[in-house]
Amino acid sequence: MNLAERRTLRLRLRDLAAASSFAAVALSGALPIYVSIVFGAALFLSLAGQRPFERHPAWSVVVLLGLAVLLFGLAFRGQLDLVVAAVAFATLVTGQRMLSEPTPSTDQQVLLASLLLMTGAAALSGEIWYALCLLSFGVFACLSLGMTVVEGPIERDEELPLAPVMRQVSIGVALALVGGVSFFILFPRLSWNLASRRTGPGLLGGTTGMTDRVRLGGGGDIKTSARVVLRAKIEPRPTAEKLEKYWVGRHFDTFDGREWRGTGQPEEPKPRVMLGDPSAAIIQRIELLPAYGSRTLVGLEHPVYFGPAVALTTSGAMPANLIKVGSEEVRIADDGNAYTYTAQSRDDAPMREDDPQVLEALRRLPPKIDPRVSELATRLAGSATDPEQIARRLEQWLRNNLEYTLELPGEVEDPLADFLFVRKAGHCEHFATALAVMLRTRGVPTRVVGGFFGGERVSDRYVVRAGDAHAWVEAYSPARGWVTFDATPDDGRGSRPQVLIAKILDAYERLEELWRSRVVDYSLIDQWTFVRELIRPPANASRQQEDRDERPEPSTRTPTRAILAALAAGIAVWVVWQRLTGASARRHPAADFLTALERRLDQVQVRLREGEDIERLPERLRREHHRLAEPVRRASRRYLEARFGGRPLSKSERQALLDALTAPRNS
Amino acid sequence: MTWRERWRRWLRPPRTLKITRIGRTYLVITLGVGLGALNTGNNLLYLVLGFLLSIIVLSGVLSERVIRDLAVRRLLPDGAFAQEPFALRYEVTRAEGRAFAVKVSEGEGALAGWAWIPTVLAGQPVVARADVVAPRRGPLRLKEVQLSTFFPFGLFEKSRTFELEDLLLVWPRRGFTCTPPQADHGRQAGELGNQRHRDGSGDVQGLRELGELEDARRVHWKKSASVGKLLKVEREREDKKQFTLRIGSEVPGDQLERDCEETAALTNRLLSEGGDVGLEAGGRKIRPGSGPGHEKRILSALAMLGYALPGRER
Repeated sequence: MNLAERRTLRLRLRDLAAASSFAAVALSGALPIYVSIVFGAALFLSLAGQRPFERHPAWSVVVLLGLAVLLFGLAFRGQLDLVVAAVAFATLVTGQRMLSEPTPSTDQQVLLASLLLMTGAAALSGEIWYALCLLSFGVFACLSLGMTVVEGPIERDEELPLAPVMRQVSIGVALALVGGVSFFILFPRLSWNLASRRTGPGLLGGTTGMTDRVRLGGGGDIKTSARVVLRAKIEPRPTAEKLEKYWVGRHFDTFDGREWRGTGQPEEPKPRVMLGDPSAAIIQRIELLPAYGSRTLVGLEHPVYFGPAVALTTSGAMPANLIKVGSEEVRIADDGNAYTYTAQSRDDAPMREDDPQVLEALRRLPPKIDPRVSELATRLAGSATDPEQIARRLEQWLRNNLEYTLELPGEVEDPLADFLFVRKAGHCEHFATALAVMLRTRGVPTRVVGGFFGGERVSDRYVVRAGDAHAWVEAYSPARGWVTFDATPDDGRGSRPQVLIAKILDAYERLEELWRSRVVDYSLIDQWTFVRELIRPPANASRQQEDRDERPEPSTRTPTRAILAALAAGIAVWVVWQRLTGASARRHPAADFLTALERRLDQVQVRLREGEDIERLPERLRREHHRLAEPVRRASRRYLEARFGGRPLSKSERQALLDALTAPRNS
Repeated sequence: MTWRERWRRWLRPPRTLKITRIGRTYLVITLGVGLGALNTGNNLLYLVLGFLLSIIVLSGVLSERVIRDLAVRRLLPDGAFAQEPFALRYEVTRAEGRAFAVKVSEGEGALAGWAWIPTVLAGQPVVARADVVAPRRGPLRLKEVQLSTFFPFGLFEKSRTFELEDLLLVWPRRGFTCTPPQADHGRQAGELGNQRHRDGSGDVQGLRELGELEDARRVHWKKSASVGKLLKVEREREDKKQFTLRIGSEVPGDQLERDCEETAALTNRLLSEGGDVGLEAGGRKIRPGSGPGHEKRILSALAMLGYALPGRER
């Protein structure tokens, strides 16, 4: 590869490294748009081979200084975050260097500035994209640096074989990545992760969009979405892989024939909201992700407490207040990309409602209702008078006689009658509406609940997907309070990701979940657990233990696995080290010949003098007219050829050369 | 080897490591990332830190891999003029594997300058040229050659020193000459002023084409007629001017250097003018003669002037 081609390749690699680091920053969503545009233009020009600052380096520095003053001025006036301002300035410096004279020194400056960008991006973002950007930056930057180093301080127009250099550097990068990951896992965390701004606005925006009303009609596209909207760490930790539980979002109390809505009034914002007795409650540490797209808090059925919430914004994490809206919902007062909070729930103690006016409002039917609905409810309820019994009968009939479908094209005037008597198929909102309205025709106070059903375990957390969005009914029983009824058939409760995009998203979300749990939220506790499980692996839990929700006791046996793992790791490190340093590189065959030659010379009383080597020995022997001068010269020459000249020595030849040293010569 | 040299050699590490400019910046950034990670607990900063530290460790390992199996040989010129760049060649070989980005230079800063070798493949010796400058006249004992590499990322320069003893004669710099000395014999004839003249009165030496402004009386007409161009007869010269340049033995240091430089310049000038030049200096005599070999003899004698035989102190 000649000089021009090498230079082009080197600059392309350098620019790709810079682009990777810029992508890491840009995907955090924190970078001002004008900085992104400026860098994009610089990248385009650089890739096109145009470098306008090559001729005007001083002016470009002046412009850069002006921009620095502007950015940091904005930061000091509070209009721009200081970290963002610093990252923006590093972005501009990278662009300026890319458009300057392309010398090896400039390349190194571009890569160092890009490294600063990667560091800034680590402070601004926690998305999985960061991992990809870091990986590509590492690869491109190392290859570019490797090329710069081999080129030398002065570029020379001569052919250089680049393939071995690239191969060597690539192996180096791979090992560096392994080393980096090992360091990450093993280096003890001395502080908690407090300063990361790990939540950007997300690339796809919110999905569920839990609003204050539910309108019947249309399909159920959301059921096919695999995006994770919620993560929860539950204590005590359930053992089931699939969590068959209801996550309550909000209640709807009024139905006008087409849509449900809430009528509660918001209260004053406060840090905590108590809805019931939290003793012996299930504690959930919940994270609502950008895909959730709403500020309504969610908790396992029946939530009794919502604790301190934190809004995660692009400028950092900040405490958020909570607003209770009647008995319908609790929502976060402040805006953010994502939220974390604590919820407590008691599934054994349904909430009660003592206000008769409220209960009366929850019996109110829509002004225009098909009389067949009431007739059907009466017929199905039969002789039952207990609200729970009536609800159970209606629920069973709906689940057994109507079908679940997401294909609901077109608008109809009365969606409830259409669902019950024409299509006889619908999704969860139709089933919940039918059950609630029919119960109201029988005088049972009901309300529709919007939230999620399900959850699957990923490491030590449960994730809930947008497709798990669900609606069900709570009916009031004077004896037990609010009781949950779900008329939707079982196959319509969870998410239904069928299309390819949903599967890709599913894979992405799983990967992201792993990234978050294993990387972003990795802590000293995780390290401790890792080491403890390595040394004392937990015994396998029996089925009975799982059923009793008991944790298996740690094993007290000798930590054979840990010893073997440590041994294997040590051997692996030793082998890699030996291979890298060449310490175990096999001895050159010619070196063995030299040893044999020296031994033979010793036997025939020919000894090397101090400071004399095998190359100079024949010359001395010739001067001394030694009888072995010629065979020694031949052996010495052949050794040098084999050792350094790339001409290997065969066994027979070696033996012949050695034999010649014993036979008396007359020379 | 003196005790001091042995002690110094024993104390010297087998490898030396220097941080390059980019390496310094890299280390500062690594330190900053490390402090940031420890202070904030940001796991992504830990990830970046791990990667940066791995790169540092890897730099050490790969650079060691590059310079461990190298062998070097120095290819010295006959001599070199002081304070003038000259080509010093090194032959670098590698028994197995490959080496990249190798810099070859003289150890202990004996000669300023270095040679660059982008790649060395196993069994294929590479000869690299270094343009070096010797600082002063005299025998220069070259003790060691330093092989360095910046591979793989240019953050550090790892060096390995090979003990390789050689003696380089550094001739005096050819300084300014004011007045040519008196010739030993005052004869002057023919085209003495012409640098290329060979028109003495001795035996015929050869024929060559007549040059511009040369004496047409020397043309060999018969041969010229047969080949169709003017050929001139060259005869051995017996009419050269002979000069013997002298340097006093009691000259103080600086003056001696200046005298040597002037003598070297005069030698070159007089030889190029066709004279025979000899030297009397430091008790040594070189009879007048000419030719490049003779000039080197004089220069070597000048180089050794004031110095003991190789291996002894001045």
